[in-house]
Amino acid sequence: MAEEFKPRIVGFLCNWCSYAGADLAGTSKLKIPSSFTPIRVMCTSRIDPVLVETAFLRGADGVLVAGCHPGDCHYEEGNYYARRRFAVLKKVVEGLGLESERLRLSWVSASEGQRFADVVNEFNEKIKKMGANPLRKKTSL
Amino acid sequence: MGEKKQHTDVLVIGAGIAGIEASLLLSKSGRRVHLVEKTSYTGGSVIKFEEVFSNMECSTCMVSPVQQELLQDKNINLLMLAEVEEVKGSLGNFTVKIRKKARYVDLQNCIGCNACFDPCPVSLKNEFEEGLSERKAIYVPCAGALPNVPMIDTEHCLHFKGKSCNACQEACAFEAIDFKQKDESIELGVEAIIVATGYDIFDSKKTPKYGYGKIDDVYTAMEFERLYASNGPTEGQIFLKNGKTPKSAAIIHCVGRDEKGYCSAVCCLYSLKFNHYLKSKIPEIKISEFYTDLCIPGKSHQKFYEKMKETGTQMIRANVVEVTKSGKEITVNYKDENGKKSNLLVDMVILAPAIEPKSDASELAKILGVSLDEYGFFKGENQDVFSVVTSKPGIFAAGCCQGPKNIQNSVSQANAAVGKILSATKTKMEGDITA
Amino acid sequence: MTMKIGVYICECGPNISEKVDIDKVIDAVSSMSDVAVVDRYKLLCSSDGKKFLEEEIKKHGLTHLVVSACSPKQHEKTFMEVCENAGINPYLFQIVNIREQCAWITEDKDEATEKAIRLTKAAIRRVRYHAPLEKKEIECNTDVLVIGGGIAGIEASLQLVSANRKVYLVEKTQSIGGLLTNFEKTFPDMQPSSALINQKIQSLNNNENIKVFTDSEVEEVLGFFGNFEIKVKKKAEEEPIEFDVGAVVVATGSNIFDPKKTPQYGYGKFDNVINSLEFEKMNLSGKISLKNGKIPKSVAIIHCVGRNEKKYCSEICCMYSLKFVRYLTNKIPDVKVSNFYSDLCLPGKSYQKFYEQTKGNTDFVRSMDVKITEKDGKLNIEYKDETGKKSDLSVDMVILSSAIEPTSDASKLAEIIGMSQGDGGFFAEEHEKLGPVSTSTEGVYVVGSSQDPKSISETMVQSEAAAGEILSSLVPGKKIEPEVKVSHISESLCTGCKTCLSVCSYGVITFNEEKKISVVNEAICRGCGNCAAACPSGAATIKHFTFDQIYQELMEAVK
Repeated sequence: MAEEFKPRIVGFLCNWCSYAGADLAGTSKLKIPSSFTPIRVMCTSRIDPVLVETAFLRGADGVLVAGCHPGDCHYEEGNYYARRRFAVLKKVVEGLGLESERLRLSWVSASEGQRFADVVNEFNEKIKKMGANPLRKKTSL
Repeated sequence: MGEKKQHTDVLVIGAGIAGIEASLLLSKSGRRVHLVEKTSYTGGSVIKFEEVFSNMECSTCMVSPVQQELLQDKNINLLMLAEVEEVKGSLGNFTVKIRKKARYVDLQNCIGCNACFDPCPVSLKNEFEEGLSERKAIYVPCAGALPNVPMIDTEHCLHFKGKSCNACQEACAFEAIDFKQKDESIELGVEAIIVATGYDIFDSKKTPKYGYGKIDDVYTAMEFERLYASNGPTEGQIFLKNGKTPKSAAIIHCVGRDEKGYCSAVCCLYSLKFNHYLKSKIPEIKISEFYTDLCIPGKSHQKFYEKMKETGTQMIRANVVEVTKSGKEITVNYKDENGKKSNLLVDMVILAPAIEPKSDASELAKILGVSLDEYGFFKGENQDVFSVVTSKPGIFAAGCCQGPKNIQNSVSQANAAVGKILSATKTKMEGDITA
Repeated sequence: MTMKIGVYICECGPNISEKVDIDKVIDAVSSMSDVAVVDRYKLLCSSDGKKFLEEEIKKHGLTHLVVSACSPKQHEKTFMEVCENAGINPYLFQIVNIREQCAWITEDKDEATEKAIRLTKAAIRRVRYHAPLEKKEIECNTDVLVIGGGIAGIEASLQLVSANRKVYLVEKTQSIGGLLTNFEKTFPDMQPSSALINQKIQSLNNNENIKVFTDSEVEEVLGFFGNFEIKVKKKAEEEPIEFDVGAVVVATGSNIFDPKKTPQYGYGKFDNVINSLEFEKMNLSGKISLKNGKIPKSVAIIHCVGRNEKKYCSEICCMYSLKFVRYLTNKIPDVKVSNFYSDLCLPGKSYQKFYEQTKGNTDFVRSMDVKITEKDGKLNIEYKDETGKKSDLSVDMVILSSAIEPTSDASKLAEIIGMSQGDGGFFAEEHEKLGPVSTSTEGVYVVGSSQDPKSISETMVQSEAAAGEILSSLVPGKKIEPEVKVSHISESLCTGCKTCLSVCSYGVITFNEEKKISVVNEAICRGCGNCAAACPSGAATIKHFTFDQIYQELMEAVK
């Protein structure tokens, strides 16, 4: 019997908004797939494109970058830079032979616990349909 | 004959945004702050808003980092469920008596797991949510409230009404619930006092022509803020009382303006914000704003207005005569400046009521020994409209308790009050670290 | 020295212990290299829990600490303090969120346990790469430069010198006092403006803590918060004056919109069409008269001049127009005054009362498409009411209540100081709501109408607010403790591409022309990480959020 595919999704969350939103989802006891792993950074502008590429090369099924809504960035414009890098990153992901939809950028505010849960759950379902990252078995670094 | 003791601590009354900012700035300078807050939570009115104008920034994201900073600041003695009972003395030497009500939940032991809510058998309307949802007798006002520690409402709690009920205590794994807690009386010596007690909104029932309280789906601005809030009673979904989605809405400015005799400075702008709220959840909704004069000063605010207008909102310059309802729809009857009568059918009405002093402002003013102006706000020096200096040296007023204003000006006033306090104390010679 | 990592898992009562099989987590991580001890405890954030951790650190000689418990937002600071008290650098610590983001969101116990193991392992891997970060202390100068000698600059200076700070006040013109010296009275109290400003100037003159430079402009601002190096150029002097300060307050005021840009009002074309500042000066001189010396019998005040062009409401014009009505009716018996306006803006608590008490002396005409022409030797105002109906009114004099705009040298000043200009070209505050007087350049504050059109009363509050911020952050004898988790650029790896400079919102990176490398000013860096992500050579990194550290977490996450 095949084991159910549990997408390994890495979530880069910014300290000020999305991490707080994720905490709120927790305080509200909402349900989020256990195969989702959060990694805290101070700002989504910290997300080095190489980190995202490495994530996929190492077998991440999906990468979620979640930051403050445009205009709300704690560091003025960090999330705008994340957004711009993200557009380029989508192309890079395609270049690896993966669907660009495996990379998602979302804005979650500190009060949006439900929204955070919805975003992760929806993303999880989407990745399930796409299937496991084919690079997981192929690449050895 | 001893020398009178010069205190350096500062008392801040009110832990809304103005009180929090003043406390943090004072603490940064090395002062010890006693922050007295009447309710069980920090953040005041601002945490009721989902977004703030004009850049629609998430209010919680903006305020929760400062709330966290406040809760972790060692220089700030946060006294919640507390009120000032007596103030004696003068600048440099105020003696303050504070009555701190028992929370019945230990702030140290409670870890905020909320396990005590479900077992509580008592349900009643949640005031924070403007009565739009319910809470228990042991409760936090909303998800994400800081500190994330509940309080027991002894007026409704069965245990305190003589019935035997320990449901919450039994559910708590941290022994955080302590029915034996007592109210406390605390006496402090402070150098200066900053009053930052905020505002109430005008009771729209006093202007019956708008139908508030009589007609379903006539909401006040605060109620609407809670409807839109993602941590609110409907998780941000906008529904009519019958569960349907409104197809049209009227926002009525200046409710209570004639009665109060002043412009509340923020209502035109938040009414435009409401336009954004409505359109973001219900893109097809038809919105009409009823106003007499558009008050949108500020370098960024006209841009904001133009953007709202582009969404197709009708700006109707008129006096609303009456809001009535027959059948399913609400009728807004209005008269333009030339006297021509008209009416408009809408599904929902949102009222923008005036900002007024808190109901206990005059009591507090008496305790402090400061004057109120003719509108009931704390009176500034020389009748100055925005001065933070009150009629008593050493007592300052910041934020809406001093007069209606937006968040930006409330924060400026909070910092200004701190500036006044710090500049009144001459810095001693180098090596003596006091600010 | 060998690394000894202590790993402690908090039960958080039943919150974690009932959802996560803690013993399984202990088993899973015990065998990891460098892990000296793994244990569990009922409630680590309690005083007993903290004591337990301290004792454990000392007992096992731990070099690093990992605590799996609640969110860092709850207790990261708590456990960092425990480390410090026990003798470990507080940054050789990592907290793992297995409560809010694991136990509370995962139904199945096995899955929650597996996730807790994954997160704890990730933290152990990460903490191996942590570096001990030291709190820095920087000496600071507590003197202040105030640019602009109007009411804003004067009020800020007064607050600062009252606290014994030294202030350098630089004023472009030959005397201080600013725009207020042109007004007879201020609204809404209608008290003499001179009384207000002269008293303050007197206080400043009597104070030895302030140095006033008139006929002077700021030429250069180098350095950073607590350590600014200033150059001021006085007219007619060769050498600039140099001094150091800790903070800068920009209070350079504003200009009035030039109605020549709105030719429909006939300004500069017809006699007796004057702007608001000209009218103030005329009124102050004691005689309101027409060009031909006669007293005007009818005056029209046109509101919102320049509003469409500037695209904002200048807040004070409705009120000063009402003040003008008072000036006119007090000085010229039987004068007829008409106000042509679109919306009445009265956002101060006593403003409406002022309007109610004044409106009986004037006509308020809501109008649009106002055009001034000459007809039969008088000025003729052509206008439309809101229904579009055309009308006109003949008057002797027209006063144009014009918009407030930034001074013409605002851009130059912004560049010298390193400030941004926001909407309308006004200097941008750091944050519209919570940072109304600070800017994104730490130590530089902006107050008054150089920041946004506003009344005198509001300006004074902003000046006092800036003083409050400065007095609290720059204290004689006290050092500044900047953020620790800041950017660092490796000299050897930097290729000099300057990409980091272009992405820094705070201007903390400068380019060293000699070495051809970028340099971060760690004293004012906020640690957002943008430069680290942008750097193509990996030279830029963020302390405590280095690539290696995040990579370790990532590796565990994708297993």
